[in-house]
Amino acid sequence: MMSIRSQVCAVTWAAALLLSTGIVSAQDKPPVKIGFVTELTGAWSFFGTSCVAGLKFAEKQINPPGKRRIEFVIADDQTSPAQAVAASRSLDVQDKVLALSGPTSSDTGLAVYGYAEQNKVPFVVPVAAFPQLTKPGSRYTFRLEPDAVGWGYAISKFVEKQKPGGTIALIYSDYALMRAITAGLKYQAPLSGLKIVADIAFPQGSNDATVQAAQVLAAAPDYVVVIGAGGFDNTITNQLLDLGIRPNQLIHPFGLTTQVMNWGKRSVGSYYGTFFDSNLDALTADGKSFVEQFVAQYDCPPAYGENFCYVTANVIREVIDKNPEAADDREKFRDGMSALKTKETTSNIPIEFDKNGARKEYIYIMQLTDVVAKSYKAKQTFYTEWDPEVIPVYTLVK
Amino acid sequence: MRNVAAGSAFLGATRLSNANLIILLSTISTGLILGAIFSLVAVGVTIVYGSIWMPNAANGQFFVLAALFGWTITVSWGIHPAIAAVLVIGLSVPLSYALEFILIRRFYDVPNRNISYFVLSLGITQILAGIFAFTYGRWSDQFQLPPLIGGITFIGPLPVANNRLLVLALALAILAALFALLRFHRYGRGIRAVFQNRDAAALRGVNVKASYSLSFALGNAVIFAGGILFALAYSFDLTVAWTMSITAFAIMIIGGPGSVLGALIVGMVFGFTQAAVSTVASPTIAAFSYLAAMLLILLFKPSGLFAR
Repeated sequence: MMSIRSQVCAVTWAAALLLSTGIVSAQDKPPVKIGFVTELTGAWSFFGTSCVAGLKFAEKQINPPGKRRIEFVIADDQTSPAQAVAASRSLDVQDKVLALSGPTSSDTGLAVYGYAEQNKVPFVVPVAAFPQLTKPGSRYTFRLEPDAVGWGYAISKFVEKQKPGGTIALIYSDYALMRAITAGLKYQAPLSGLKIVADIAFPQGSNDATVQAAQVLAAAPDYVVVIGAGGFDNTITNQLLDLGIRPNQLIHPFGLTTQVMNWGKRSVGSYYGTFFDSNLDALTADGKSFVEQFVAQYDCPPAYGENFCYVTANVIREVIDKNPEAADDREKFRDGMSALKTKETTSNIPIEFDKNGARKEYIYIMQLTDVVAKSYKAKQTFYTEWDPEVIPVYTLVK
Repeated sequence: MRNVAAGSAFLGATRLSNANLIILLSTISTGLILGAIFSLVAVGVTIVYGSIWMPNAANGQFFVLAALFGWTITVSWGIHPAIAAVLVIGLSVPLSYALEFILIRRFYDVPNRNISYFVLSLGITQILAGIFAFTYGRWSDQFQLPPLIGGITFIGPLPVANNRLLVLALALAILAALFALLRFHRYGRGIRAVFQNRDAAALRGVNVKASYSLSFALGNAVIFAGGILFALAYSFDLTVAWTMSITAFAIMIIGGPGSVLGALIVGMVFGFTQAAVSTVASPTIAAFSYLAAMLLILLFKPSGLFAR
């Protein structure tokens, strides 16, 4: 007869043996490859490289000893849809990746979307906001970023809360992203009892907005929604402020770190939308650690783009952990993504996808409170979540 | 698209009048600033083309190179923007001479060299665009220099940033100095003589090859001046290179290839046209208006308005 002590010992050894067998078994299997097609060169290279920076932080964290390794095979799409398709095909056929991910531009995202849906490759979109990426009938695509039409809807809701019956001026660059945001805003504004008193679009490559800033001033709006592309965003902002529009009248639908830093001290008091910010009230321990590590390495806080890429890696890990067989089976991985109900590790925001792969959507509106040498402070003034199809997203922008 | 309710319900008659005056004055100030910068770049392109027959497609990239140098010097190194502006314009001279020595002068005696130069400048464009995308493009999607000076000046009811007024004054001063140089200084007269007929200029004792080198350096210095002044007045990103390149070519073609006066006048007209059309129609129509004007003018005067 074995003593109690011996029995405990035996059970412990057996458990350890089983566990170690499991570990060896997981470690012995080849890594799970995820194709990461992103913009490392070309016009969108800033966003692609920022995304990869976020991904790299997660890659270390999601591969602890004992778990089957997830490896991201990064390919440059040169900010070209054609190149994005070529890279996707190569990752699919040659590297035999489990899934695709990576685009930060809607144009390249749509190109990968076409390939993924046609070839039944799961596609996890980290940062691309064009609604048609999850149009009805999409089966293999899952998008983490809320669609841009919804941002416009949410801004109307924000203004409705701030000033019922208020007036809004729109001043924006004529890009697909901006058109989508303003489409949502223009649809929702009358439903929210708001009036749009100026609607000014600039063609790509515009330099100066002084005259249009004067027109906005003449329209005397309560709020001005500013959505310039690249450097022009800051030019519009400065020229509105030069003419006497107050910072707390300005709403930027999105604010990346470089944008906020460039708006500078004179924009303190203005509002911007975001999906993750280093100043959020509800950062988790993981979120705080992510921000600290990012600041230590890059000397500036991460914004939502970096966060979405960081979260993408965590989501993929979670799906594979919950469904180990999904690591080698695209259909099972797709099913795992579709059934996923989780939270962002950095901010506890819920993640779940509807039948088309669109995420349950949300936005934070932050108010800028200070800009210092390499960082900025902002306070959270508004938060809302909504169903992706609370407004006719897919008919407003085709 | 534009839909401005200029007469908002709670604007009184006086404020409405002020609002219209602000729009009018802002149109004039924008026209002046944009026009002066367009003129600088177009004059730079014209000097190079008029002298060595090089249609420099890389002018937009040179323009952005100056702006990016300015950004590095002011933002990364913390040097005052006035010093940065001088350094950037100064830096263009050795860079131009180096480029001229390595590449440009090899084509001086090539027949139909303008085609060769155009292809060469397209190559330079691609190389510079690639370098910018790989370096600056990864660091930020937008760039802004600190202003030369702070404060606001009211011109009637229109508040104008002192920084923009200073940029305008500097751009006009550079244009005036350039005009004086080409008209009254012996080097300038030499360049103009080469513009008109290089064989005749050589017979009159002008060192044609030296004049080529000087023209290339001078033209690029003016483009660099345009780039740094633009960066001091506006935020920018890498796409501005293409916009500026097309604009400069359009101005040169309408003004008459090789005509500095044409580039100067048409550049100013372009600035005002863009500002005025964007006021009365829309910024989108304004962007195409000057290209439409170019086609129309070329239809009736294919050699340009001020052709030599």
